Amino acid sequence: MIEDDIYRTSSQFRLWSYTESSLKSLRTKTNHIASERVRAALRRARERHASSTPSATGTPQTGSDVEEKDIECLTPEEELVLVRYYCEKTVELGETYRPPLPTNVRVSLPTTGFTQRLEPFFLRGQPKLTSITYQATAIQYLRRFYLTNSPMTYHPKSIMACALFLATKTDNYYMSLRQFAEGIPGDTTADDVIAPEFLLMQGLRFTFDVRHPFRSLEGGVMELSAIAQGQAKPAPHLPHHTPESLKQGLLSIAPPPVPSTSITDRIGRAHGATRELLKSAAQMTDAYFLYTPSQIWLAALLLADRPLAEFYLDTKLGGPIDPTAMETEPSNLQNPLYDLRTKLLQVLTDCGALLQSYTPLSSDPDQMKILKRIAKKLYHCQNPEKVNLKRDSAVPRSTPAIDAGAVTSESETERLAKKRKLEMEQKQRGAHDMFGPELVLDRTRH
Amino acid sequence: MASKNGIDRRDEDEVCPVCKSSRYLNPNMRFLINPECYHKMCESCVDRIFSSGPASCPVAGCRKTLRKNRFRQQTFEDIGVEREVDIRRRVMHILNRREEEFDSKRAYDDFLEQREEIIANLVCRIDVAKTEAQLQAYAQENMQSIKANQALEEQEATSFQKKILLEQEETRMRQQIAREEYESERREQQATREDFLTRLASGSAADAAAIAREGHKVHLKKSSARRSEEDRIRQKQAALRGTEVKRTGTPLTTADTAGSTPGAGFIKGLRKIKTPEPEKPYDPFMGLVPGKRDYYTQLESYPYAFLDKLRSDLTVQAGGYDLQEYYSRTLLEAFAGLGCFVQEEVAKRDAISALGISKPASTEGAAMAAVGKNAA
Repeated sequence: MIEDDIYRTSSQFRLWSYTESSLKSLRTKTNHIASERVRAALRRARERHASSTPSATGTPQTGSDVEEKDIECLTPEEELVLVRYYCEKTVELGETYRPPLPTNVRVSLPTTGFTQRLEPFFLRGQPKLTSITYQATAIQYLRRFYLTNSPMTYHPKSIMACALFLATKTDNYYMSLRQFAEGIPGDTTADDVIAPEFLLMQGLRFTFDVRHPFRSLEGGVMELSAIAQGQAKPAPHLPHHTPESLKQGLLSIAPPPVPSTSITDRIGRAHGATRELLKSAAQMTDAYFLYTPSQIWLAALLLADRPLAEFYLDTKLGGPIDPTAMETEPSNLQNPLYDLRTKLLQVLTDCGALLQSYTPLSSDPDQMKILKRIAKKLYHCQNPEKVNLKRDSAVPRSTPAIDAGAVTSESETERLAKKRKLEMEQKQRGAHDMFGPELVLDRTRH
Repeated sequence: MASKNGIDRRDEDEVCPVCKSSRYLNPNMRFLINPECYHKMCESCVDRIFSSGPASCPVAGCRKTLRKNRFRQQTFEDIGVEREVDIRRRVMHILNRREEEFDSKRAYDDFLEQREEIIANLVCRIDVAKTEAQLQAYAQENMQSIKANQALEEQEATSFQKKILLEQEETRMRQQIAREEYESERREQQATREDFLTRLASGSAADAAAIAREGHKVHLKKSSARRSEEDRIRQKQAALRGTEVKRTGTPLTTADTAGSTPGAGFIKGLRKIKTPEPEKPYDPFMGLVPGKRDYYTQLESYPYAFLDKLRSDLTVQAGGYDLQEYYSRTLLEAFAGLGCFVQEEVAKRDAISALGISKPASTEGAAMAAVGKNAA
């Protein structure tokens, strides 16, 4: 299928798709390395403290009890809960924005050059056109960032605003930094927002494209309504359908759980319910890492209106195989896409189960209690050397920013740092010259 | 053997078999023949009988219809030879296959023999009807190759003619140069000898030996004309060798426009001619159809409430906004990756990359060391 090949070229598939086991092992690895570093950093801090305090104040053994027992670090599961909480906070931040941010930035309309600039303009009056992709992008940035970085190293609170700001930029909703910082409740300054930007981008491996299922949903609903009007064309692999037969098929599917007045109404309801699922459950779970956007939205549609979604899938991949006709002709003759269909249904079921397993943290008091405990724990095991991000971001980072992740990225950052240093030296050497530095490296002169 | 002079030398009392007038009465009389029946008659008879269109031959017993324009003068004295030469020319004109067109020398020889047989049959009037039919059929089937070969032959003939002319010119030039050179050499020799003698005459006895030695040296000088002649012969031999190589190396470059070999039934051992396949038009997408989709077929427009609003909105239309773009993008995103099973494909990819990474273990070690240093 050519659409699948197109998706395979995206960075989301190439860099940000994982199996469940690899996702888990990556998180464990990140957590492990980060804990090591936190312990080492705290030990160093204490040593420094100890070397300076005894001579000055002479209170030697007060902190040593804490020093003796090992610092308790977060587990990968606790980290995950924490990140999820801050993802929810991101949505809140976007929604409670003052002045109110449009809840969406990337409209589901295609953009080309000139019209791109037009978009916010004609979107303002039409909230129905919009989706929440910009917050969703910010959330995915956070989730991707915390795959290779630990909340113990960088507190999500400091990263969160930056992710949101970065998402406004990548999702084509321009907003000045000052304007953005003013809207954040509390005393966050523009510098605080922008400080971890490079760090965040590095954690994202400089891939800003996030493929969301929102526009996909629009496409599916668009086609469903075309079927309902009897205008749809059959899928290329199933040419025996006609617009009329498709319409009859749609009208004759099993009634929805909630009775609806007409088929258009039914599609509208399914659309709304699916979108709610995509906005919440799809964002807060690992769905983006484990499934493709089209699988996510179809799984969500299955949850919202099962008969409708199944009908739609059948128009694309052919219906189930008639077991009575099995003797006369094998399955691949009845439906050439049957293998794909069975495999896909399994995946959609899994994805649906994942989406259903989500419950918002803030609505669950037990979860909140756990969260409070984690927050307290985090307070003690925060890496003291990484707290002040502003100072770090003043100079492009020369220390490896990523805790784990690809091994190559570590050596890559080192190499880059070295290169940058060389360039800096070169610049400084020529800084005093009125006409700038030498054009040719003065290697030849020595 | 036979020539125009031959006719002139003929007997005075030669008589036209049609009008019975003899050369004695009419010294300018010319005899003509028609290749249809080869009956001889005088020019005035031809004019008289055939100027008003085709008529039958006036010779008793011959009922062939003749046309005036086919009458011509006899080349050979013997009518039999004349006829044979005509037949041979005609057959050779049709069966004009060339040696390059055959698989082997043997096949070509067989063809030559077959051709001779046909000629002999026609000359001796054996199976004339059958042979003629064969020839006609062959000529019709192989019209193109016959024409191509004729053109080739003509070309060869003209180029041969040119070559001959060129060679003659060269020879003439060479001879002239040689003559001039010889002349100058002779003059020089004479001058030297005179000089030699005068010096001997004027010089003393002691100088005589030295002067004689000098004279020998002059004789040793080889004439440049002779040298250039040798060069020329050597070059010619080399050129001959070169053409031989070429002939064996690239046997068939032309005359393969005939397409398939329709004459294969008649002439055996013809080389199979491979016509190069016509080049296909260039396909920049390498077989990929640009707008092809596997999961859906895009419509011209979709009934969707909020899009209708856009369709009529001038502010949107003014920018050149095309809803087709929107349709194709949303539909593509709706299905892009539907058949990508991340769990399987990524697992496979990880396995492959793990294999690839296990080799450069040193970099991993260095990175780990760096991490350790950082932590310490």
